Amino acid sequence: MKYRFIDDLTSDVMFEAYGKDLKEVFENSARALFSVICQIEKIGKTENKIIEVRGRNPGELMFNWLQELISTVDIDMMFFSEFRIVEINEKYLKAEIYGEESDPSKGGTVVKAVTNYKYLFEKTDKGYKTRVSLDI
Amino acid sequence: MKENLEKINKFEWNLPKKSRKEMRVDARVIANQKIMDAIEDAAVQQLTNVACLPGVVNPVVGLPDMHWGYGLPMGAVSAFDDQDGVISAGLCGFDINCGINLIRTNLSSDDVRKEADRLVPSLFKAIPSGVGAKGRLRLSPDDLEEVLKHGINWAVDRGYITKEDQDRTEEMGCMEDADPGKVSDLAKKRGSPQLGTLGAGNHFLEIQEVTHVFDKNAAKSWGIEKPGQVLIMLHCGSRGLGHQIATDYLKIQEQAVKKYNIWLPDSQLACAPVNSKEGQDFFAAMKCAANYSFTNRAVMTKWIREVFERVFSRGWESMDMKTIYAIAHNIVKYEEHKVNGEKRQLYVHRKGATRSFPDTPVIIAGTMGTSSYLMKGSAKAMEISFGSSAHGAGRAMSRHAAIKKFWGDKIKSELLERGIVSQATSPKSLAEEAPLAYKDVESVIDSVHGSGISTKVARMIPIGVIKG
Repeated sequence: MKYRFIDDLTSDVMFEAYGKDLKEVFENSARALFSVICQIEKIGKTENKIIEVRGRNPGELMFNWLQELISTVDIDMMFFSEFRIVEINEKYLKAEIYGEESDPSKGGTVVKAVTNYKYLFEKTDKGYKTRVSLDI
Repeated sequence: MKENLEKINKFEWNLPKKSRKEMRVDARVIANQKIMDAIEDAAVQQLTNVACLPGVVNPVVGLPDMHWGYGLPMGAVSAFDDQDGVISAGLCGFDINCGINLIRTNLSSDDVRKEADRLVPSLFKAIPSGVGAKGRLRLSPDDLEEVLKHGINWAVDRGYITKEDQDRTEEMGCMEDADPGKVSDLAKKRGSPQLGTLGAGNHFLEIQEVTHVFDKNAAKSWGIEKPGQVLIMLHCGSRGLGHQIATDYLKIQEQAVKKYNIWLPDSQLACAPVNSKEGQDFFAAMKCAANYSFTNRAVMTKWIREVFERVFSRGWESMDMKTIYAIAHNIVKYEEHKVNGEKRQLYVHRKGATRSFPDTPVIIAGTMGTSSYLMKGSAKAMEISFGSSAHGAGRAMSRHAAIKKFWGDKIKSELLERGIVSQATSPKSLAEEAPLAYKDVESVIDSVHGSGISTKVARMIPIGVIKG
């Protein structure tokens, strides 16, 4: 399983994303995020963008990665559907992300922010797992 | 925790501070029995968390629309001493100055229903809606700075709204001492293309019909004459700019919590001492988001008027399309309140709460399919809720659960059967805001009116709904 949504709150959205390594869990969490922001299956890959993110540890790196993607939607007016981590360690990542100009008819909902609520990033027997609550 | 609530009267419940050893003050909930039965224990627990913070003033108040939120429930108010207290980005919420503008018309519902099939799509086209919608304005960096600092004065100067609209806006649409220097470049970049956009989620534009007038004098003074009159309700906030300011300052205040050695029962209640740099910087940046949101709604007010002019072939003044009032939710205010008979300056945090000062308009939004209310602020609110009232119906179900349970297309046809024309960017956004995903607004209003924190002036139902 790449990611799944969990019913937890009366106000918002929570998902868990998984990966056998750092690269996979970061890519899968981005897909989970964009399946909330837009109808990800309808989004083409005509444009791309390079993103670099830093954090003091993998948990903070994940938080900052998702937050960076949220702000990119507003600033570049784009929806994204493919995420390739080209370089990653516990404190830094470089990603190439693919998408197209945003069109509200392919939209989902506005994600305001990643929150600390029950936030989790952990190493598991099978690789990595993250749990993320979004304020929408 | 809920079992510790003691009934004071039919509409007020007290949770004594002895319920938890870290609580510095009591928590109070304003609710009728039906609302009280539905309130989640976790939301009551959240009120007690806030009651543990330094300098908190008795009591922390849960309003009738309260439901679990990040850190503090949506639908709550907490006040802090201006020397020993804290200012908290967490207690303000991510959508700073999400709020409502209510605009009146002299049109009748019959006039408007005849044109609803033209009016709703025209409004949908004129108001950029939904996630990823492009704004119609191109703001220069200087323009943005001016909006952040001077709020709707920017919109008045450029003819988007009139001085009279400004007079009918909380804080006159401009919180003083807003400092754009305290706002990150990232927040400005997010906000720049979005001025004059509705957003998505629970934000909406509704055409409403007055069905009842309860307080004829107040209604008349605000330009509402009788049932059948059409009003326009606009609900939205400070968009990506406000979300980023909240995100930035949550991080800054998380560090401040460590620096000033503040014990937090929940890390989401990040805060800083009122007179610290981290506290005052947030306050100055938050005011920028508040000013942006007032201006956002002012810009859309002009576009709404233009659509009505085209559809009804009359000038907006001749349709009496004046602002009844523009109010803020999700905001921190520096206000004077009486505490135990003594006047004190407090930092009042309203999260999903409306200011309710004596005789000022209080606007409470229902859901797409149900009623909304115009109410009047009261002295009672000054006594028991730091001059605050409810802001909406309050969710009873998560957005994710609502999408799974309801079909957007079906909701659209059900609304239409009841005479409500709706248009949304996607069926999903109708589903997540399905009326049944919310508490019964009538119980919220019964609690608000019954407790006296605001009193009923008029009830409205929707005729047309535009959603992001």
